Amino acid sequence: MDEKIRRIYVPMTESGFYILFCLQTPQHGYGISQQVRKLTGGAVTLGAGTMYGTLSKMEKDGLIAFYNEEEKRKLYQLTGLGREVLELEIKRIERLYKNSKGESIDE
Amino acid sequence: MNKTWIHFFNLADYEEEEQWLREKHNDGWKLVKFLPPCFYTFESCTPEDVIYRVDYKNSRQTADYMQMVQDFGWEFFTQCVGWLYFRKPAADVDTEADGELFSDGESRVEMVQRIARTRLIPLTIIFFSCIIPNLMNAINGVMGVYSYIFTDFFGVMFIIYVYMIIYNGIKLTKIRNRYRS
Repeated sequence: MDEKIRRIYVPMTESGFYILFCLQTPQHGYGISQQVRKLTGGAVTLGAGTMYGTLSKMEKDGLIAFYNEEEKRKLYQLTGLGREVLELEIKRIERLYKNSKGESIDE
Repeated sequence: MNKTWIHFFNLADYEEEEQWLREKHNDGWKLVKFLPPCFYTFESCTPEDVIYRVDYKNSRQTADYMQMVQDFGWEFFTQCVGWLYFRKPAADVDTEADGELFSDGESRVEMVQRIARTRLIPLTIIFFSCIIPNLMNAINGVMGVYSYIFTDFFGVMFIIYVYMIIYNGIKLTKIRNRYRS
């Protein structure tokens, strides 16, 4: 993974994380927002403009790729690079979680 | 029945414009179209609390963008020099974020940057490459017997441009700082 991608996406925004997380299976923007709403019990709501902007950026940076089109809706899916970034982010969040519970991480 | 209101909003006053359009709809007037710089055509309607939002796109919006915004419950009804107008009844909104096109600071900052890049910077370029040289020529009498008319014209343009550049520059910076995490 090149330095530029790491600098932009690690750590990433909450919207970015949920979008990548949901794109482990192919989906379109509105589908992602519905899934995020369900996953978070309504605590995280993504706006249409934010969704579109994030998807375009992630596609340009190669984290996700166009999968299919259904009635003018573009479906995207995670790429290998996207998966790498997601895994890094999940590790970071696990560390935060452990530390917040007072546990430390062994070297 | 249609009615046209004259109301001038600066480039950076789009949040005030959204609020104004919402108030108008509450009063029973829904926006049909906007003609720059200040003509708003409304159609009479049943008074209703409807949320208005604008997005600014410097490139042609794509079919999948329009589809996505509509999937999120927004009605697209008009566009004008890069501004796209959307509305959604407040009754359909159950969380605050649901009534917004942008749900994080980063995407709001990006919209401010799009406006600055494609509107404010060109304005500044025109100011330095056209308004100032022409004003100088007019003042120096290079433009012949009617120089005083040009002096007045470019003098007024000079004041308008200075005002627009400073006002919008400061306000866009403020909005950007408010949304920057």
